[in-house]
Amino acid sequence: MPTPTNLHELFRTAFGAVYQCNRYNCYFVEFAGGISPFKVADFLDLKQHVDAINVAEMAKNPARAADVYVLMPNRSERCFVLTLTEVLRFQELLQGAKAMMALNSILHECLYSPAYC
Amino acid sequence: MKDLLRMRTSLSEEIETLLNEQIKVEAHSSATYLAMSSWCNRQGFDVSADYFMKQSHEEREHMLKLFNYVSDLGGHAISPEVVNIPQEYDSFRDVFEKALQQEIFVTQQFNRLADHCMKAKDFVTFNFLQWFLQEQVEEEYVARRALELFDVIGEEGTGRYEIDKAIRKISYDNGGDE
Ligand SMILES: [Fe+2]
Ligand SMILES: [Fe+2]
Repeated sequence: MPTPTNLHELFRTAFGAVYQCNRYNCYFVEFAGGISPFKVADFLDLKQHVDAINVAEMAKNPARAADVYVLMPNRSERCFVLTLTEVLRFQELLQGAKAMMALNSILHECLYSPAYC
Repeated sequence: MKDLLRMRTSLSEEIETLLNEQIKVEAHSSATYLAMSSWCNRQGFDVSADYFMKQSHEEREHMLKLFNYVSDLGGHAISPEVVNIPQEYDSFRDVFEKALQQEIFVTQQFNRLADHCMKAKDFVTFNFLQWFLQEQVEEEYVARRALELFDVIGEEGTGRYEIDKAIRKISYDNGGDE
């Protein structure tokens, strides 16, 4: 694990958190009882994947297989088995984190100048 | 805190998605022209078959130009799934009408894309798109000229044979060079 000084909390909800690791240039996603690293592109893939889960279908499909969504992110040890509520919570977490990343980009563009600071 | 998003690519997620959609449109165009080439071959329109084959190659090159741009900027270029290629056409004329409609659609797509880049202040991509916008002038010109042959020459008698032969002579010249 990286040292805490390298780890910045980007976003937190009651059910999880996303951190940025400045040592390995990756994100750590803490959710559903585990924490795992994702490279930037893989995090964005994960978010797109989770956003695309058809929650309406999960809700109305009576088949037991539709009660959970099994998510195996690329290049990750993690495997998520998510109930409908967890999918919604995961979406909220990833969307919030993505918004903070975008905000950080905006701040960088506005404030950071190698020539002056 | 480091800006990891920007370090990965200068493309915003929105522009990257739109570029990938355009990659798909070009791939679809390429496959459609290939089907048109096959149709012309089957009906004995030899020159038109070659013409559409050449168009198909060009569309693939357009696709790769966009594809390489996304890759070069650190983005995720997606190899497109191409479906719903029309294989049958009502008539010789119908093929050229569909070809023109397709080029018009592509021009509109690039205009929209340029508009998004402008709004997102992505002038790097905006500048990259200039080549395509210019190319569409030629693409529409050629497609429109080809379709006009059906009225200029007429389809009666050996008309369609003459039209097929005339397809080869269409060339775009904006009058700037000579
Ligand atoms: Fe094209
Ligand atoms: Fe074209």
